[in-house]
Amino acid sequence: MKEITKIGLILLLITAVAGVILGVSNAVTSEKIAEIEKIANNAAKQEVLKEAKNFVALDEKRLKEIAGSNQNVLEISEGYDANSSLVGYVFKITSNGYGGEIQFMVGISKKGYITGIKILNHRETPGLGANATKSFFTDSFKGKSVADKLVVVKHPPKADNEIQALTGATITSNAIVNGVNMVREIYNSKLAN
Amino acid sequence: MKFSKVFYNGLVKENPIFVQALGMCSVLAVTTSAINGLAMGLAVTAVLVSSNLVVSLLRKVIPDKIRIPAFIVVIATFVTIVEMFMKAYTRDLYNALGIFIPLIVVNCIILGRAEAFASKNSLLPSIVDGLGMGAGYTLAVVILGSIREILGSGSLFGIQLFGASFEPALIFIMPPGAFIVLGILIGLFNHVRKRKEASETGVREEVLDEYIYNID
Repeated sequence: MKEITKIGLILLLITAVAGVILGVSNAVTSEKIAEIEKIANNAAKQEVLKEAKNFVALDEKRLKEIAGSNQNVLEISEGYDANSSLVGYVFKITSNGYGGEIQFMVGISKKGYITGIKILNHRETPGLGANATKSFFTDSFKGKSVADKLVVVKHPPKADNEIQALTGATITSNAIVNGVNMVREIYNSKLAN
Repeated sequence: MKFSKVFYNGLVKENPIFVQALGMCSVLAVTTSAINGLAMGLAVTAVLVSSNLVVSLLRKVIPDKIRIPAFIVVIATFVTIVEMFMKAYTRDLYNALGIFIPLIVVNCIILGRAEAFASKNSLLPSIVDGLGMGAGYTLAVVILGSIREILGSGSLFGIQLFGASFEPALIFIMPPGAFIVLGILIGLFNHVRKRKEASETGVREEVLDEYIYNID
């Protein structure tokens, strides 16, 4: 047998066995992975919209109707309580932070106020922008009305629509507030009725 | 071949991080906390042992000309398996380590040991070598991660060590801090190793210095 054929066949054998092993591993783990992602997603949504028990994501068509071609809106979910009445919405959006995209969720209650935010992914600086995940910052959004545009200030807030910036992380703070304002605008124009 | 000698080689004498300086980018990036270091160390050890095992078993079967692609396929397969299982069963650690899990494939330690040891030695010594090198790597990243976590976050394995008034030195959880601590650790490790070697072999430390640094 020519050497090149022999080499080719051995390589084929090795990669074929590798392929089979990988296929089996994938079969074993894929269900668990999907399950975990669903749980994590739901848990995050629950955190921002506590009154809701179930979440139903808007399908692609409806998402396009509401968010248009806005690439920063990844998902909008309707939140239903135990009696199956609509209590609010959870938006999953991205915003450009200091170190890259910040992916986070914003909860809006049908009563017209922000129920909370939760940062999912970010690449902000540890100790500075990364503090955006801490409750002292995320709590400052709770209860804010959707009526007024939120602004970032560098002192303790004096008005209802002011959010105090993170120390040494104005860009991160602006990114998050801009994202929340985007959600506010979409909610006010398309979902509040 | 004494197994303890092979293991000790990987742990101390030819420690992949402190002595060979291999696979550094993962070391610097994931050691922002002790638990991240430990998780990465265990993942690398798992891949190292598995790949050494398979490469050693197949060393007479893989033609010399295609040994590099063959090794890479083996290593990539094991890394992918580790990644899938971490994604399914240890999700928090998977999220913490992020892109550095798939990057284990190109970690020089693994390909290096496959080429330098597993392809030339029988099964059991190769497994022990994998364990030793993996232990050496894990030791390095856990120490590095612990120091960076204590100084940069005031905690160890997530447990807060100091009171609320402790202001951590943030530089230690950022890249410059990684370099600084790693450099100091390499210096310390080699200093201790040199002293030990000098006392064992009777060669004066200055002579060992000349040998290591090629001072003329």
